[in-house]
Amino acid sequence: MKILIIEDEPELAADIGAYLAAQDYLCEYASTWAQAREKVELYRYECILLDLMLPGGDGLDILNILKEQGQQDGVIIISAKNDYENKIRGLHAGADDYLAKPFHLPELAARIYSVIRRRSFANQNNVLQNELKVDLSSRVVTVHGALVSLTRKELDLLLFFISNKNRVIGKSALAEHLSGDIADMFDNHDFVYAHVKNLKKKLSEAGYGNYLKTIYATGYKWEG
Amino acid sequence: MGRMKKLLDQSLRPLVIYTLVVLIVSIPVYFLTINWIWENELDKHHYAIREKLEKRLTSLDLPDSAVNDMITVLDKVQPGFSFNEAAAPSPDSTYTLIRFDTFMNDREQFRCLMTDIQVNGTRFRVLIETNMEEIDETILAIAAVTIFFFILLLAGFVYLNRKTSLRVWRPFYETLASLQAFELEGGKPATLPDSQVTEFADLNQGLDRLMEASLASYKQQKEFTENASHELQTPLAIVKSKLDLLLQSRSLDQPQMQILEDAYQAINRVTRINKNLLLLAKIEHAQFDGQQDISLPTLLTAMSAQFADRFESSGIRYTQQVGEMTLQANPMLLEILLTNLLVNALRYTPAGGSVSVRADQGKLIFANTGTSALDEQNLFRRFAQASSEHAGSGLGLAIAREICERYSWQITYEFDCGHHHFTVLF
Repeated sequence: MKILIIEDEPELAADIGAYLAAQDYLCEYASTWAQAREKVELYRYECILLDLMLPGGDGLDILNILKEQGQQDGVIIISAKNDYENKIRGLHAGADDYLAKPFHLPELAARIYSVIRRRSFANQNNVLQNELKVDLSSRVVTVHGALVSLTRKELDLLLFFISNKNRVIGKSALAEHLSGDIADMFDNHDFVYAHVKNLKKKLSEAGYGNYLKTIYATGYKWEG
Repeated sequence: MGRMKKLLDQSLRPLVIYTLVVLIVSIPVYFLTINWIWENELDKHHYAIREKLEKRLTSLDLPDSAVNDMITVLDKVQPGFSFNEAAAPSPDSTYTLIRFDTFMNDREQFRCLMTDIQVNGTRFRVLIETNMEEIDETILAIAAVTIFFFILLLAGFVYLNRKTSLRVWRPFYETLASLQAFELEGGKPATLPDSQVTEFADLNQGLDRLMEASLASYKQQKEFTENASHELQTPLAIVKSKLDLLLQSRSLDQPQMQILEDAYQAINRVTRINKNLLLLAKIEHAQFDGQQDISLPTLLTAMSAQFADRFESSGIRYTQQVGEMTLQANPMLLEILLTNLLVNALRYTPAGGSVSVRADQGKLIFANTGTSALDEQNLFRRFAQASSEHAGSGLGLAIAREICERYSWQITYEFDCGHHHFTVLF
């Protein structure tokens, strides 16, 4: 699956690329407005990561070009501008999601996963992981065909792990994913532990193998 | 600061006081002058009478017995005269006397002359009295006239002061009105009226310069905070992503993982401070305008739901007793205010403690378990951490206060019965 990273900060673009490459994504880069325009006009991507402040132009214009050409590429805006007006403007212009910098790479991976799933598997949106099946449209989880009843946060957590398969996810990334903007107000992320514990318990009771590993001091990893 | 006084009244006041003092002093002066004239005139008159009396009686050339008869008649009949035979001469005396007069049937004041006359070699002691106005009545009359003139002057002063001062000071009041309408957020200096008066022209020029300078530095400051904050976002994003990548390394040992986790904590804190600085700058610059009616209990319930799992994992009991209450505010700002107070309560409550939110007569009270009172002086100041145990951003309560000030709400802190109370008075 092809991803275009439109970001003028090479370090950040490279890190995003490195993280996503391990998720079997194929990343291309554009660091200026002109490069970005050329790429989106010539090639198609499953998902485009779009920085709004680009040398040579406004990132929103890239969205307009896509719209004019009737292209269906998923777009996630990644911007340092974390305010309501910019978010609204971006989403109005046709972006699928808006992620404010600084963000955690697993969060970005989860957003990309979600955008691609929404766009490409609109009808039959099932995620299969070994003996686990998640129906994204009805939000139903089954193990060996038997229903597992999860809370909304547990389901969020499960999808977050699945979209970051085989990667170590830090506790603060999980906390931010679960509680959004208020997460960075706290240093204590113990509540994450409680949710993970419950999720693990419910899955193992349903007969799912121990694929969710705790990593010392830092976080968790979903092996699959 | 006492009661405010108006400029025009200021200039009137000493004038009025001065006039009052002069007029009060004038009352005894008038009286003394009038009295002196009165007495002087009466004394002259009395001496004239004495001369006439002596001359006429002598020129009649009557026998002694007839003189005696006539004097007895004068003594009995002519008012204001009394005669006594006197053996030895005595000096004249003039004096003023107040006594009851049987004829007038009232207390009366008299000017008297006691003197000797000599008729046919016989010496008589004569008392000549003239009724004059009583001293107290004179003073009263003068005072009444003075007060009348004072009132006349006062009315004139007020009228003239209004009329001329208003005209003289009009450019000043116009400048004042323009200044009061001036807002830094507007980005434009106030237009001040032209004046032909040097002082006002200078004043306006000075104000113009001041406004231009404030606007420039305001703009600069606004841009600076926002730019600084935005500039920080990118390196922060890089550090964060580097840590996320480093975490994927398979060769990390446990101490290294601990270091990574500590680095995460620190980067989160920097992110938080940066975010709050930007927010504070935005609130100060009134970038959140739009207002709407917001139901306080609905918003609070929605927000506390976000915190529910944190309360639970810290073993903190959360209670909310807020009846229906609608506020006019920007929804984002109100949410930030409530979030910051809830976060504050949650962060500083020890495990097993409680956090309660209750509304009471236009007040919203956040109470949480605590051990000792916090320093109220510093609590709402930026980066004035009341306790070093927990590392917040140092800005949460400063932001809360900024939002409250924006809507003229009052936020206060008190410690009571082992609970911290943060009260917002709407």
